Amino acid sequence: MTCVELEQSLAEVENGSRPEQQVHLKNCPKCAALVEELLVIAGAACELRAAHEPSPRVWNSIEIALRQEGLIRPQPPRHSLLPSFGSQWAWARWLAPVAAALLIAVGIYVRQHSNSANFAHNDVGPAVAQPVADLEIAGLNDDDLLQEIAQQSPALQAEYTDHLRRANEYIQDAKAVVAADPNDEDARRSLMEAYQQKAMLFELALDRSLP
Amino acid sequence: MEAICCPTSITQVRNSKGFSGNHMSGRTIQLVAIGAVVVGMTTGMLVAETHKEYRFNVGPKAGLSVNNPYGSISVKPSPGNIIIINAVIASDKVEVDNNLVGNRVEIQSHLFAGADAQSGRVDYEILAPADASVTLHSSSGTLHAEKLHGDVTLEGAGATVDVRDISNAHVHVKTLNGAVTLTNVQDGHVEIDSLSGTVTLNSVTGPLVQVISTSGGINYTGDFGDRGEYRLTSHSGDIEAIVPDSTSADVSARSVRGEVHDDIHLQPNPHPSFALTDGRAFWGTMGRAAVSSTVVLRSFSGKIHLRKRAAKP
Repeated sequence: MTCVELEQSLAEVENGSRPEQQVHLKNCPKCAALVEELLVIAGAACELRAAHEPSPRVWNSIEIALRQEGLIRPQPPRHSLLPSFGSQWAWARWLAPVAAALLIAVGIYVRQHSNSANFAHNDVGPAVAQPVADLEIAGLNDDDLLQEIAQQSPALQAEYTDHLRRANEYIQDAKAVVAADPNDEDARRSLMEAYQQKAMLFELALDRSLP
Repeated sequence: MEAICCPTSITQVRNSKGFSGNHMSGRTIQLVAIGAVVVGMTTGMLVAETHKEYRFNVGPKAGLSVNNPYGSISVKPSPGNIIIINAVIASDKVEVDNNLVGNRVEIQSHLFAGADAQSGRVDYEILAPADASVTLHSSSGTLHAEKLHGDVTLEGAGATVDVRDISNAHVHVKTLNGAVTLTNVQDGHVEIDSLSGTVTLNSVTGPLVQVISTSGGINYTGDFGDRGEYRLTSHSGDIEAIVPDSTSADVSARSVRGEVHDDIHLQPNPHPSFALTDGRAFWGTMGRAAVSSTVVLRSFSGKIHLRKRAAKP
């Protein structure tokens, strides 16, 4: 009996008690370990049957987990500028990929900017930087964020407006330095860091710790 | 796992002020009434406050995650492979959800409808194995971690962050306006992002120490270790680095619109990669170049100041 045949035979006799199974298990520690694990699982399953009904706290935990996974929606969908997002802060879950996309996009933008500058440096005339709108490369809309803040935590709106303004100034300044000297590696890194700050602002504003 | 509840005593509150006198004026009566309301409210809050303790046996390099919208979280090392969580819960508007998933403990302060910053507050004092990986979230409380050597991640919009006596670990911090203080972090891989909180680093060394701030100040006091990369960047916040005489580092500083000062003699870098405009930038080496770290100080409108630490009397 081979290992594959043994695994198939376990569907019929799961404890490996048949003679041909026993012969194989004596010579194959891998399959022996597998059968041992199956027996442990089977034993645990029997104990589970005898367990008490889970407490309401367990159901509560399951509910929280399902809610965090977005599988259940405790409240009816409300108005949002992002219609595909259901619960009130569920769209925050998109922030990680959006932020990642933002940084990748900025990286591509900066690299293209750098390449065009290098190309220009190699005797083909002045580089023409292709301006890319923030919204295009970021995918993050300030108004969306402020509207959500206004609805969820109105007391924080002024603070976040100020944060956004500062983050945008950071980006604009960094872009200006890159534009002045596209070969300035340091300035390009600063531009990345400026976008990183803005991405963090979105992330923290909407993360699950925000009341 | 065990949970212990013990409502806080209110005896002291009730006995802390006595009222006496047979003839009370109208004003006195008003004061008494206001006092009674205040005492009643305080008493109500204290009565509702409960203490709970949770214990989890974990294996080596366990994970610990705590998400607490309102309140502080403090993590210190435990004597063995056990995580002990002491929670002070402000009211019945919040409960502590806890899960042990594999070798990871997950704690969530679960707010009920109507909870606010006071009634939803939970303060955690946690003991965890020193090698645990710790992730703490709080939007408003203090986040504190000390004497750990697993990875530490601390995040919170308005959270104040205090990390000390950490070694051989990744330390990642994100805040919007909370102050961040790191003290005695050795051989760390440190990344701090703060929009407007002041970042203070005391004796922080490692292969990578990076701080990015939009408008908060950055203060570094220490010797920059050896052979590490230190990058302190701000948009409008000031940057100050105070170093001892023994420091060996290749230091470049540049502020687009702010002033740049150094009180230390540097051997100028003969091949700087950017223009060294007087008063706006410098680039040079201090100490022994062979064992020096790379220090990059950048700002757009903030001041940058590299100064020598005053000798101890």
